[in-house]
Amino acid sequence: MQFTSGIVEQAVEALSGFPGIGKRSALRMVMYLLNRPEHEVVNLADSILKIKTELKLCRECGNVSDHELCNVCSNPSRNAKIICVVEDFSDQMSIESTAQFHGLYHVLGGLISPMDGIGPDQLYIQALLDRIAKNAPEEIIMAFSATVEGDTTMFYLAKKLRELPVRISCISRGIAIGGEIGYADEITLGRSIANRTEYKV
Amino acid sequence: MHIGRLQLFYFKNHNEQHLQFCNGINCITGPNGSGKTNILDAVYYLANTKSFFNGIDQQLIKHGQEFFSIHGFFENDTTTEILVNFGKSKKTLKKNGKVYSRLIDHIGIIQTVFITPYDISLVLEGSEERRRFLDFTISQTDRSYLEQLSLYKKLLDQRNAFLKQAEGRPVDPILLETFDDRMAKAGQIIFEKRRDFIAEFTSYFQELYRFLSGDAEHPTLLYVSELHEKPLLDILFLSREKDRVLQRTGSGIHKDDLEFLLSDFPLKKYGSQGQIKSYVIALKLAQYKYFLEKTGKKPILLLDDIFEKIDGNRAGKLMELVARDYFGQIIITDTHADRVKEHLEGLAVDKKYFALEMPVNTNAAPAQNSSEDPD
Repeated sequence: MQFTSGIVEQAVEALSGFPGIGKRSALRMVMYLLNRPEHEVVNLADSILKIKTELKLCRECGNVSDHELCNVCSNPSRNAKIICVVEDFSDQMSIESTAQFHGLYHVLGGLISPMDGIGPDQLYIQALLDRIAKNAPEEIIMAFSATVEGDTTMFYLAKKLRELPVRISCISRGIAIGGEIGYADEITLGRSIANRTEYKV
Repeated sequence: MHIGRLQLFYFKNHNEQHLQFCNGINCITGPNGSGKTNILDAVYYLANTKSFFNGIDQQLIKHGQEFFSIHGFFENDTTTEILVNFGKSKKTLKKNGKVYSRLIDHIGIIQTVFITPYDISLVLEGSEERRRFLDFTISQTDRSYLEQLSLYKKLLDQRNAFLKQAEGRPVDPILLETFDDRMAKAGQIIFEKRRDFIAEFTSYFQELYRFLSGDAEHPTLLYVSELHEKPLLDILFLSREKDRVLQRTGSGIHKDDLEFLLSDFPLKKYGSQGQIKSYVIALKLAQYKYFLEKTGKKPILLLDDIFEKIDGNRAGKLMELVARDYFGQIIITDTHADRVKEHLEGLAVDKKYFALEMPVNTNAAPAQNSSEDPD
């Protein structure tokens, strides 16, 4: 790309650093911004800046928050006896939007993967242990992706927590809603059969 | 299943290539460097989602081009269209127009057996080659083996990375236990499947070795694994200290080997050139027999330069099997059209000959097809 403006070039370089954004898309974003009123662009820049300057991590659960306590942890109607452990805040948002869970969360900040340089010490695992010791919840739900790293983290946590007086569960894995058995892979289907649940009407 | 039409674009040294195979013997002839073996490799690629010779896709693109594609039509009762595209570091594999989200799902749909002069590395090279042979053969007809193997490899990589980061210092025992438990479970399944496979495979192999060599030697395949002694969980537990110091996992099914014996002596040391050749071809033909037994379908047989590199005696034996209708579709390469014709002359099967020329760098050099009637 040949630029006539160093400012445009710099903006394209910065924007193309986003995941999934190439130079061409970045250029379109710059052109879009060029045509917007100044206050809009200032607002955008301001909200980006706040991600680094004002955003906090909740001191209880580690989720992103505007305050010391996030709005889940500070909500008195949530059931503090159940804690759902998730990889990151985007997974927390997915579970929250199901509206099926009314307990609290704990955000680990990643999954155990030594190949990516992430061990238990890089994650908020000790914070979870402290929280369990302090608040004595009844149940810990582990809600991780069904990947090698997700399973490793689940195994590790279960081993870490096995001595503690708390029930440990994990989200069930199996056939997707609307999915056909014939299209399910053997591992998923095998696990669905092995971990079948009682059916009541 | 057999392959009908095959189209290549910029695959290895080919520009554009269109071939229409028959469901019998297909002979590809041409001078060295004309890309005969690469056509066999293209067929192998469509079946196995990778090249037989080179695992790095980028290196399979013709020099100066930006992508390669292989497009094949496999015939059974119906036609299955397989298309692979590689360019800009991205590989897509489509079956009947639908993109696979995981390449692993394609394994086992089309079986091929590739006999090439490079097979000798099974005997001469390290244990990795032999494990690859085992894994390839079992995976073709056992999906859960492939899944467990891929899980085991991922866990092994993670465990090794973990040990490496500790740099010999004491490690978190719970995390090590996490890896060990899961690796032991997957590894134990792999061990049992390998053991059962070798028992079944050996009988096919021995029969074919005797047929090919005509000698009185007794060939055996010995499965070497620490897991014969004790369960993998115990092995991993006992080697923790050593692993921590060495900063990698020194024991497990990734250290297994398959020892080739001839009347109780190691083939590599005591076998003659001829015996080694017979041994290797017998292994490949036993693979053929194994696939046939498991799937009830004849694999596609790819024979690379066999008349040149294998002596006439063994090649003759192979042709004897061809005459007995032992095989389905065969694709053969050879530098000499006359020699191949001589070998195949008397056989009452469909035959088709393809003569490749040296590829021209700027223009496509299509193969010249010529058919020959069986009688």
